[in-house]
Amino acid sequence: MTDIDPRLQEALDGERDSATLPPELRDAFARLTVATRLLAQPPAISVADRVMAEVRRSKRASVAHRWAHWLAQPRAVTVRLRPVWTLALAAGLAAVVLLPGGGQPVAPGAQEGVAQFVGHFPGARSVEVVGSFNDWQRGALPLRDEDHDGIWHGAVVLPTGQHEYMFVVDGERWVADPLAGRYVDDGFGAGRQNALLIVRP
Amino acid sequence: MRLFLSLLLAAAPLAAQGPQHARLEGRIPAPALPGVDSLIAQAVAESLPTEPLVQKALEGGAKGIPAARLVNGVRHGLVQLRDARAIVTRAAPDRVAYDGDIAAVAAALARGLDPRLVERLLAAAPAEPPGPALHAAADLVAHGFPADSAAGLLQTAQQQGLRGARLLDVAVAASHELQREGGQTTAEALARVRAMLPNVPVAPPPHPRVVTRRSGRGS
Repeated sequence: MTDIDPRLQEALDGERDSATLPPELRDAFARLTVATRLLAQPPAISVADRVMAEVRRSKRASVAHRWAHWLAQPRAVTVRLRPVWTLALAAGLAAVVLLPGGGQPVAPGAQEGVAQFVGHFPGARSVEVVGSFNDWQRGALPLRDEDHDGIWHGAVVLPTGQHEYMFVVDGERWVADPLAGRYVDDGFGAGRQNALLIVRP
Repeated sequence: MRLFLSLLLAAAPLAAQGPQHARLEGRIPAPALPGVDSLIAQAVAESLPTEPLVQKALEGGAKGIPAARLVNGVRHGLVQLRDARAIVTRAAPDRVAYDGDIAAVAAALARGLDPRLVERLLAAAPAEPPGPALHAAADLVAHGFPADSAAGLLQTAQQQGLRGARLLDVAVAASHELQREGGQTTAEALARVRAMLPNVPVAPPPHPRVVTRRSGRGS
């Protein structure tokens, strides 16, 4: 290490007025002061600045590109759901998939027609239509009474032709549709009749 | 070889039961199943439609009919199908007796139509599916019109070009005329409808708010 004149050191440390230095030291003092100031300042463009500038430039890509990039990147997603909401969501999806569209018309085909069922059963808890068109299967065609006036109704697309059917009230009482107008003996020997429906195209 | 024969013997009864057996199993009382299977096998052997018999059995099962009565109901259905095929064959000997025609005639007989009237209507329009004309005739008879007069009206309608479901409109028009204020006799009502032909009013189609599609295979 080069020895420095003690007077110059004192001036650099602020312990001596630079004006009291001899002329040959004053020039050295001036050059050292400038060098010290330069060292104290950060460089105008650092490596970090250049890296961040590059990053910022790449972030200025198009919105579509950024979305595509975001979508393509694998991410860990954590969903916290209460079981009750999960069940409700599943029930809602099932209703949308399985139940007939609310009020959406179902167009019959060339060899089909619409059959409408209406029955007056005041106080009934449930009314359904069971017949040859649904293999006499229970639960296939429930009727509705939204306004609870005892008038149950429903409609279904059926193949044209004749169909025998009955109403089943409250799951146990078999009733031939009083408004059917056409009836046929059910053939089981108790004198009971099925309602007969003729579906027109 | 022995294994093959064993499998063949085991599969033979299942093959004889046919696809109808699977539809009935669990839907009708177990004691009724052999009897119903046998009746269906008879229908197959006689080239009669089996679906009306399957439906009758399913109906009995759904209604909780005891096994013996259920089998009797299916047997009654088989007898009606035989009678129906005989009528179709007599009325239109040159035409193939389709399953649908036989079932329609059997249904007309079940509704109480006289076999001679059925045969007359079939013979009058042998190329047409008989269902609509037979139901129109049964409707007229159910409203109190004499069977012969009802058949005569429907034959006139067919001669004037009415076909299919339009024949049902003829029966509806006649019953409306009968219920008209002032009290008409059946003869007067028929005369008025005859004068309208072929321009009887068309029944309005239903306009339900919500229409679903059926489930199940059914008829």
